[in-house]
Amino acid sequence: MSDAVSRPPATGASEALPPGCWTQGKHPENVRLGPNTVVTDDLAFKRFHSREPDALVIGAQCTMDGVHFDLGEQGRMVIGDYCYFTNAVLLCELEVRIGSYVAIGWNSTICDTDFHPLAPAERIADALACSPLGKGRARPPILKRPVIIEDDVWIGPNATILKGVRIGAGAWIEAGSLVTRDVPPRSRVLGNPAQIVGNVER
Amino acid sequence: MQPDRTLSWDWYPGKVPHNVVIDETAYVETTFSFYLFRSELPVGVKYGRGASTYLGTMFDVGPRGRVELGEYALVHGARIICDKEVLIGDYALISWNVVFMDTYRLPFNSGARRKELERVPGNPLRVASAEVPARPIRVERNVWIGFDACILPGITIGEGSVVGAKSVVTETVPPFTVVAGNPARVIRQVEPGDQNLSSFSGPI
Repeated sequence: MSDAVSRPPATGASEALPPGCWTQGKHPENVRLGPNTVVTDDLAFKRFHSREPDALVIGAQCTMDGVHFDLGEQGRMVIGDYCYFTNAVLLCELEVRIGSYVAIGWNSTICDTDFHPLAPAERIADALACSPLGKGRARPPILKRPVIIEDDVWIGPNATILKGVRIGAGAWIEAGSLVTRDVPPRSRVLGNPAQIVGNVER
Repeated sequence: MQPDRTLSWDWYPGKVPHNVVIDETAYVETTFSFYLFRSELPVGVKYGRGASTYLGTMFDVGPRGRVELGEYALVHGARIICDKEVLIGDYALISWNVVFMDTYRLPFNSGARRKELERVPGNPLRVASAEVPARPIRVERNVWIGFDACILPGITIGEGSVVGAKSVVTETVPPFTVVAGNPARVIRQVEPGDQNLSSFSGPI
């Protein structure tokens, strides 16, 4: 929010964005953006640590408004064409693959990792390794599984998608859902944990 | 409020849009709340007496959208996605990251959704604006909504009710009822109590 260049227009009312208003051109080298794809927000790459070649590849005509690309050192993320994400947080330590025509609402989170181990003793080791005194100390193994979101998926505001989930094409993830399991194509899910509550017409 | 509709305390270099009506006793923390505001109605947002909106509140209001905040309504960082009408009653307490959406903004049918997503990159504001039916949201007097809750299109929350944190409200909530969960379920009823304002500490 500190850089005037990346800010949206100062007044609301149907005023067009001036050219250059979007944060463009200062992406990490291993980020590739397709034609007419825009990424806003100074914080978009603040937690981008991936060292993989082509760690983040986004297709054409995408709008990534206020999205945080928080990729770990080995994180890889692919996003298709015509995707429309607003203020989503994408946490990727391994792999996140998102198809085309995917819309993700405000304040949603997608993560492919548990962040910390489950076992108490291992969590003590992890707390030590993560602490300011833990420099150079290896972290214990942490569960990671790729997240796959197929084409035409709609994900509502405040939704959360956990590791290892595959969301089938055309599925509708209702606002606030916490998705812990695979979602079949064209189904509508809701709740915590998310349950199938209906289907989406073709 | 300054004559030029800026806020002297604002960190964001914006202005209050001309069709936002703010009572002189109301408080707006920042005009950043209006950066997605594009209502073309004569009154797009109305703040009642003593109403307030704080950092994080975002009026994502479409051209035909109208939002009304009642007297002493306290909105502490809600995302108001409105293409028709969102009414928030007197004395309502709205916590952080609450989503009010009177529209899904994108069609349910994936073919129609593709067409709209193909239009978004050509829109200078890069916002979806499909003709999706919107259903008004009504939050009645004295409602309290906990953080991260989502209120879906067409929902009414009755007077004096409480919505627990992280709830997703998919059905109308009766008056003086506590709901919680995702999807939200009725937990219990609350007593209205003595609502005579003069019994509280002194005049405002």
